[in-house]
Amino acid sequence: MKPVAFDYARPRTIADALELLDARPGAKILAGGQTLGPMLNLRLVQPELLIDITRITDLITVTETDDGVAIGACVTHASIEDGAIGGIASGHLDQVAAGIAYRAVRTRGTIGGSLTHADPAADWFAALLAFGAELEIAGTTGTRRIALDDFVKGAMETDLGPDELVTAVHIRKCGREARHGYHKICRKTGEFAEAIGAVTVEEKTGRFRLVAAGGSHAPVVFTDPSSLFRTADPLDVRSFDVDMTAAALRDAGMNADDYDLRLRAVAMQRAVKEAAQR
Amino acid sequence: MTRITLTVNGEKIERDVTPRTNLADFLREDLALTGTHVGCEHGICGACTVVIDGQIARSCITYAVTCDGAGVRTIEDFDDDPLMEKLRHAFSAEHALQCGYCTPGMLVAARDLIRRGSAGDEDAIRTGMSGNLCRCTGYVGIVKAIATVAGDHDVSREEISQADVLGPAPGPAAHDSLQNIQRDAVPPAAEKRRKERVAAPTLASPSDANVQTGEITQDGSFTKLTQTITVNHPRNAVWDLMADIEKVATCMPGVSLDGPVESNHVDGRMLVKLGPINADLKGEADIIRDPENWRGVIDGKGRDARSASLARGRVEYELAETDEGNGTLIAVSIAYSLAGPLAQFSRGAIVRDLVTRLASAFAQNLEARLEGREPDQDAQALDAGSLVFSVLWDRIRSYFARLLGRKPG
Amino acid sequence: MKKQGVGARLVRKEDDRYMRGRGQFVGDIRRAGMKDVAFLRSPVAHARITSINIPEDIQANVVTAADMASVKPITAVTSLPGFKPSNQSILAEGKVRHVGEMIALCIAPTRAEAEDLVARVEVDFEDLPPVHDMLQAREKDSPLIHEGWSDNIFLETLVDYDMADAEREAAVKVSREFSTARQCMSPIEGRGAIAEWDHRLEQLTLHTSTQMPHIVRSGLAECLGLDHGSIRVVAPDVGGGFGYKGILLPEEVCLAWAAMQFGHPVRWLEDRRENLTASANCREHHYVMTAYADKDGKLLGIDAEATVDSGAYSSYPFAACLEAAQVASILPGVYDFPHYRCHTFSAATNKPPILPYRGVARTGVCFAMELMIDAVARELQLEPTDVRLKNLVRPEQMPFDNITHKHFDSGDYPEALRQAIKAIDLKAVRKRQKKGETDGRLLGVGFAMYCEQAAHGTSVYAGWGIPMVPGHEQANARLTPDGGLELRIGAHSHGQGLETTLSQVGHEVLGIPHEKIKVVHGDTAYTPYSTGTWGSRCMVMSGGAVAEACDQLASRARGIAAKMLQCKPGEITLKDGRAHGPSGELSIEEVAHVWYRRPQDLPEDVDPAGLEVTSGYKPERDTGTFSYAAHAVTVAVDPETGEVEILDYVIVEDGGVLVNPMIVDGQIYGGAAQGIGTALYEEMIFDSEAQPLASTLSDYLLPGPTEVPSIRVFHMETPSPYTRFGVKGIGEGGAIAPPAAITNAINDALKNLGAELAVSPVTPRRIVEAIAAVRRSDAA
Repeated sequence: MKPVAFDYARPRTIADALELLDARPGAKILAGGQTLGPMLNLRLVQPELLIDITRITDLITVTETDDGVAIGACVTHASIEDGAIGGIASGHLDQVAAGIAYRAVRTRGTIGGSLTHADPAADWFAALLAFGAELEIAGTTGTRRIALDDFVKGAMETDLGPDELVTAVHIRKCGREARHGYHKICRKTGEFAEAIGAVTVEEKTGRFRLVAAGGSHAPVVFTDPSSLFRTADPLDVRSFDVDMTAAALRDAGMNADDYDLRLRAVAMQRAVKEAAQR
Repeated sequence: MTRITLTVNGEKIERDVTPRTNLADFLREDLALTGTHVGCEHGICGACTVVIDGQIARSCITYAVTCDGAGVRTIEDFDDDPLMEKLRHAFSAEHALQCGYCTPGMLVAARDLIRRGSAGDEDAIRTGMSGNLCRCTGYVGIVKAIATVAGDHDVSREEISQADVLGPAPGPAAHDSLQNIQRDAVPPAAEKRRKERVAAPTLASPSDANVQTGEITQDGSFTKLTQTITVNHPRNAVWDLMADIEKVATCMPGVSLDGPVESNHVDGRMLVKLGPINADLKGEADIIRDPENWRGVIDGKGRDARSASLARGRVEYELAETDEGNGTLIAVSIAYSLAGPLAQFSRGAIVRDLVTRLASAFAQNLEARLEGREPDQDAQALDAGSLVFSVLWDRIRSYFARLLGRKPG
Repeated sequence: MKKQGVGARLVRKEDDRYMRGRGQFVGDIRRAGMKDVAFLRSPVAHARITSINIPEDIQANVVTAADMASVKPITAVTSLPGFKPSNQSILAEGKVRHVGEMIALCIAPTRAEAEDLVARVEVDFEDLPPVHDMLQAREKDSPLIHEGWSDNIFLETLVDYDMADAEREAAVKVSREFSTARQCMSPIEGRGAIAEWDHRLEQLTLHTSTQMPHIVRSGLAECLGLDHGSIRVVAPDVGGGFGYKGILLPEEVCLAWAAMQFGHPVRWLEDRRENLTASANCREHHYVMTAYADKDGKLLGIDAEATVDSGAYSSYPFAACLEAAQVASILPGVYDFPHYRCHTFSAATNKPPILPYRGVARTGVCFAMELMIDAVARELQLEPTDVRLKNLVRPEQMPFDNITHKHFDSGDYPEALRQAIKAIDLKAVRKRQKKGETDGRLLGVGFAMYCEQAAHGTSVYAGWGIPMVPGHEQANARLTPDGGLELRIGAHSHGQGLETTLSQVGHEVLGIPHEKIKVVHGDTAYTPYSTGTWGSRCMVMSGGAVAEACDQLASRARGIAAKMLQCKPGEITLKDGRAHGPSGELSIEEVAHVWYRRPQDLPEDVDPAGLEVTSGYKPERDTGTFSYAAHAVTVAVDPETGEVEILDYVIVEDGGVLVNPMIVDGQIYGGAAQGIGTALYEEMIFDSEAQPLASTLSDYLLPGPTEVPSIRVFHMETPSPYTRFGVKGIGEGGAIAPPAAITNAINDALKNLGAELAVSPVTPRRIVEAIAAVRRSDAA
């Protein structure tokens, strides 16, 4: 379990990183390596060049923006766990960060790396879909912003071009009354989530995003999930219909079996319950 | 080889390493610090836990070259550490070790947990230590030992260097002895491979109205997905079109043929991309056409030399008349089975998800070809993701339209 | 002096080196000129090798079967009638029979470069139909794994103790099908070895991570055609065994051959992917069982058909049939009933060979028998513990020969159960169950019991006729010139704490302070022959041997002391490390000093044998000690998600006299944690092509700190009448009962829903699907 031989580069600017990426199509970005490392060791990934972006100052920032916060792609889970994004969502995301894998992984794993990998079982993926987060992407021809919803194309498939790099995650600040819920079901602590439910409800703006993720299937986001409840109150957890939700997931194209569908529906129900209790 | 400079257990070290050398191997093989153990080499077991710039990390999935300029501490550096001394005493008193293999990583992680003030109660200790596996003790002694030491330890006096670096250690401020790209021994094939890479897909815009996807089923060792395609051509016209194997086969994203079909046999390859994983399946296919039953089978197998994995694929189609003979209903099934390292994971559904996308792209490309809309030749590319995704979202939207229509009041 | 002998709760002597990162495991050893090895392994389960294409520039560094023609295959036979032997080529010859089977060895300066070579060798296969399942293997038209066999059965056995009588007499008949998953023992350190040829000694030295260095030496000698004297096997610190390292590996043979061939040391360290996909597995059992009982729950008979998936080859030294054939002899467990039939099959499949894992066949047997007891109780609407109490062997029957002629040495089985009932507070659990849980979860309580035969010897294993039959266990005891004691044993300690417990035995006999006693183990050059560490045997066997050797050493020391004190040896007593005579006393240190350093002070007629003794030991009866336990567990089951939380876990254990209670507790905790893994998490899944679907620890789940509860252990202490100090073997017991106890608890939780689980591990998916199946059949 040793990787194939590869070249290594450690650019100091985003521009340099993109130039390398463009010049060497066989290159892979190393943003922390907590997912890539195992794949390299197993030789599932055999890059010609590893571009280490963890020393690019512009990627290791947390910046307050007009409507929220921009988190640099190379900010680690551990620093978010320890309070780096402070007030956003009353610490909800700090707790999500604290639940990712294990501390010794969180100290090197990064938010941008995790989202780029687009593993449906990954915590950030589910949690930030519920937030309606946006990604900032830099490419050789310029930068663009894209909603996370549009970024994900399937399990481990994204909209990222071969010469592009995720540089930051934009999270909109929610109103103080906003409620968040996050529930994951794992076989054991720190392992791949079998199912994740994540929800954000802002009653003032009417924003309601409910996410089904986890396991091996592309996640599904319900932007108007009120129809999954038997009553009009979206936080009346007793009226959340698990069976109808499981059917909705199947109809949304999730090619999973009954158990997997239902488990996601239950995770969603429990996320809603958590949000309602806050 | 890359020259790196780092501090290990207080000593400044300068060494040449290959970029693929992980930190654990560097410590063990180059520096003879064998207290850091290798248990899984994929970041799960925690036996290789070390401290990098004050933060614990997995040395098996951290490459030595990335630690240029960092300060690394291994178990050997804690002989005189007062907190570790207490932990050693407690571990022995509570019988928190048996074979001793996980112990160095366990102690490094336990010390960090206590230092950060995160060992509040038994649950916190268990959760906090969940990244370290022990196969011998059942964790009973480990949890007790940590609780004993944590109960005695004054966290407020600890200098916790949390969040002063937001990224992975050592970060931009660290010494950097690296200037240009560092070459490891790049295999000679690399140059060639680069040229073979296919450009990103620019598939024709999807129109799934005539393609229906069924459920995934298991057929012996094959995972099988069935779809139906409706086209506005009579069956015998479609049958003739389907005889052009090159055109049919290359509707599958990533497939290319190495030469013409001879005696119903053809050599070819298929590039498959799943996230950062690229499989280049080189192989052959046999074609059977059964005109009496309007059936055809393409049976292929290939080997990905890079991963030493084998794949088998089978495309079956059957044509039926529809629209009073003016149209044809094509039932297509795509089945695959994998062997070797690429197959040896429990999350096979990820591959299913990929194959679903590939199969849908195949059906849509086929439909386009049969309807005379030639998909761009470059479309024989890597991933079909973009295509199916919009289909998925369309269907979600339509689902809610229906659901909302049904909603009372 | 603080008590240091038998019964003392001493902290371990071995801890310090591990806690400072100074243990020495095989991967920590360096040799000048050493190169690394990686193996090319089969990606397919069953195929003919049609060609192996090795690029010209690397041919000198790649070895295939064709190069190793002089090396014999591994053939572990038994003398049991009807056993079919298999030949396991060191490197695959013409055919592969499981994924991961070795095809070529590649040598390079580093492991990474060796893996680069592996990637450049191409193998062409002609596929053969694989056999992925043991029941499929038993079918008449199943493809054959081994040419020349008439079927895929290594061994079939049948015992029948008047089963027909039970069928006639019984009021109830309860039938079930049970199965336990294939597992990988997964010590945190994998296997690994370094082979080198010592030109000075003309000797092959193999450092290897093994539980049985002397057996590996014998196996190497047989395969390589070398004299035993030309081979030295060293087991350094070993990072966990559990049975996984009780084998002669083809890798070891291959490495030894390569070291001789290439003339430089070679190293192979198994990585986790090899560990999970290519190396030995364990535990895969299947049972079809019927229990016959009267209306009060008294068992009249058990009728069982048991199949064990033995994998492709018979591994050395335990052979492919140990597990299944043992099922027949131990299935009755702790119960006394009059009729019994058991038909067993050791089935060959295209999967890696199996090895006995902690508890060996007992974990599967306990699962089947204890789930059956609960099924009978549910059928008769009795409390499962009442059914157990009705059928347990009673203390007044001890020593007891059970229906399969197992000789239970001592104990009070019902008392263990009664204590467990009390500790788990069965009444309170039943009350709480009636009330129901506010969070919608379902509460359940489960029990399981077993007895564990340990340290069984010649009379038991001679019947098996496997390559290894234990005789007298030997130990060497040597007084050093400064009055210290060195103990040498041929078994190996890799977590069991023998460096501490054997010192306690030495102290108990000779009174030498614990700190001055050193235990040497794991090196064929330094230690007497032993079959090694397995079968929970070391405390009984090595402990007995050490005591025996120390007795003789004491007698020698008394002889010398008598000369020095000018009295008769019989007048000397040894106490607290001092020799007391009628007219004076000496320390053992003084006795040793005089013997070694001042022989001029001794008369000419002193016994010349000196202060070093090698002696052997067998218990008075070598049919084994039987420790036993009652496990009780309460769980909460989430019927929506299938998640199981263990709320309380109680073990009442009788391991005879405990040499070091702290270490015994550690063995029980650790065993139980593995049992919890078996019960709820661990499963080596193979697809229908016999392709393993777990190659990482994200696929194969080992229990971590949050998956194992704080287990409460209580002890009873009934001495074995046959062993030195009355000790019993206890190393494996903890791992036997948890799958049965936990599954019984889950079934208790689900009983009102009508769902019942009979397959381990009991995963959330299996629970949810069992509930759904009941709902579907209710609806229909």
